[in-house]
Amino acid sequence: MDYVLTVNAISKSYKRFQALKNLSMHVPKGAVYGFVGKNGSGKTTLIRLICGLQTPTSGSYALYGTENTEKSIQTVRKRIGAVVETPSIYLHMTAEENLKEQYRILGLPSFDGIDEILKLAGLDNTGKKKAKHFSLGMRQRLGIAIALCGNPDFLILDEPANGLDPQGIVEIRELILKLNKERQITFLISSHILDELSRLATHYGFIDNGHIVKEISAADLDRTCRKCLCLEVSDIRAFALAADQMGLEYHILSDTQAEIFSKITITKLILPLSEKGCEVLSIHEREESLESYYMSLIGGKTHE
Amino acid sequence: MNKLLSANFSRLKKDISFRIGILYMFAIGIIVPLSNFITMKKYGYTISLESGFCLYAFFMAILSSVFCSLFIGTEYNDGTMRNKLIAGHSRTAVYFSFLIVSIAAIFLMCLAYLISSLCTGIPLLGFFSDAAFPIVLGHIGTIFILAVAFTSICTAAAMLCQNKAATATVCILGVFIFLFFGAYIRARLEEPEYDQAYYFETEETSEAESAPPTPNPWYVSGTKRQVYEFLHDFLPGNQAMQLCTLSADNLWKMSFYSILIAAVVTGTGIYVFYRENIN
Repeated sequence: MDYVLTVNAISKSYKRFQALKNLSMHVPKGAVYGFVGKNGSGKTTLIRLICGLQTPTSGSYALYGTENTEKSIQTVRKRIGAVVETPSIYLHMTAEENLKEQYRILGLPSFDGIDEILKLAGLDNTGKKKAKHFSLGMRQRLGIAIALCGNPDFLILDEPANGLDPQGIVEIRELILKLNKERQITFLISSHILDELSRLATHYGFIDNGHIVKEISAADLDRTCRKCLCLEVSDIRAFALAADQMGLEYHILSDTQAEIFSKITITKLILPLSEKGCEVLSIHEREESLESYYMSLIGGKTHE
Repeated sequence: MNKLLSANFSRLKKDISFRIGILYMFAIGIIVPLSNFITMKKYGYTISLESGFCLYAFFMAILSSVFCSLFIGTEYNDGTMRNKLIAGHSRTAVYFSFLIVSIAAIFLMCLAYLISSLCTGIPLLGFFSDAAFPIVLGHIGTIFILAVAFTSICTAAAMLCQNKAATATVCILGVFIFLFFGAYIRARLEEPEYDQAYYFETEETSEAESAPPTPNPWYVSGTKRQVYEFLHDFLPGNQAMQLCTLSADNLWKMSFYSILIAAVVTGTGIYVFYRENIN
């Protein structure tokens, strides 16, 4: 698999406080990578390191295969855009002036494409309004618009939904999905708003206390978290036989426990089992959300 | 670095502190010769153009602290410093681009003063006297070099402190401390070695008696005087005090010290900025 970003056992200390501890992670090309963790877990610290705003105490990372210790990392950085914590915008300038300034910083030969970016970010009608008069959502979108200058293929967004109203959150989400689908931009999005992230992410990295607890694809996570019936039976072989005959999708957990993922009524399930001499000792429905999965992860339960 | 210079100069054109600085210096350039002209007319004696002409050294020092802290402080305040680093520019290039733009801005402010001062002063007070002209030229050149030193110090402070308010406080207070220290050292160096002898008459004899000159306790002598004299030429605040009164003797030495200060401060600034954690 092609990785846009690979982090190898990175650590970052501030005097006596260790913000990151041997953290490793992998962001696949084309993914929307949800970087999940509570406040103070080290999300922003890692983003600052990747963006070159700070240097790691130990360990390394590679952007498009180029290690951070190589001189050419400066060139590779031109392929990324980022919004770290708050949108980096000149408050006394208009949206267009901000983009022009970024074009100059990037050394782009002309201002072609600014109108398109403004339209994409939904800021094409802001005219001469200064950024200091923008709403939080507009500032956030302007931050993303600036990050989009120079056609980057990797965007890093730190808490993009922070402080936004529901409409603002929807606008940002739609913008991210659009960019990911239409321009194949890879995203690394840090957030602790799990519900919002679950609507976007194709991959997840769960960080707690400065290190990655688990990396998982959204497909695998769906499989782990999907709705199922959990059964405790007296004879697991008889259960498997009956389930196969009924064409059910199931997963055996132990000699007495199994999960059924297919939709089936309890009556239709219990009768064939009873005929095969298998008693159902207990039965309950389970559906794990991203939130409960995350809570169980940082609470110590493993999900292998 | 050309890209950064282009971006920073473009921002400079719209920067409010730069515009105010230009207007302020332009206004001072009109006020100084005008007030000299009014005084001349009122009291009937001649005041030449060179009188008070280099006062802008003092204002240049204050404006450099205000401008650098606001212009560079905005980069941290608005978070736009990050855009430059994320775009792949080296920290050295970022530092130098701000230094160059800040120096250019202060030079333009000084030019605004010179233009308005000459345009107002020559018609009102006439041109410089022949004797004063080369001295004034030397002082103007040294003030521009001093501007580089002041701007280097303020740029370093602004680049290394990520809080705009703290930067402004440090820079402005720092410059005033420099200037006050300059005034203090100058005053101490100008103290006479002896208090003047004086004459008095006693009531009893009605004869004039004289008291011998007494040593002045404020007079600085020996090694301490040498140190004070060195600091008077070396420190930017002291240089500003000498230059604004057209009383500097060691222009070459002062220019050398200014360049030395600018080089050392910039080198140290880049070294620390390179290791700085940017938020």
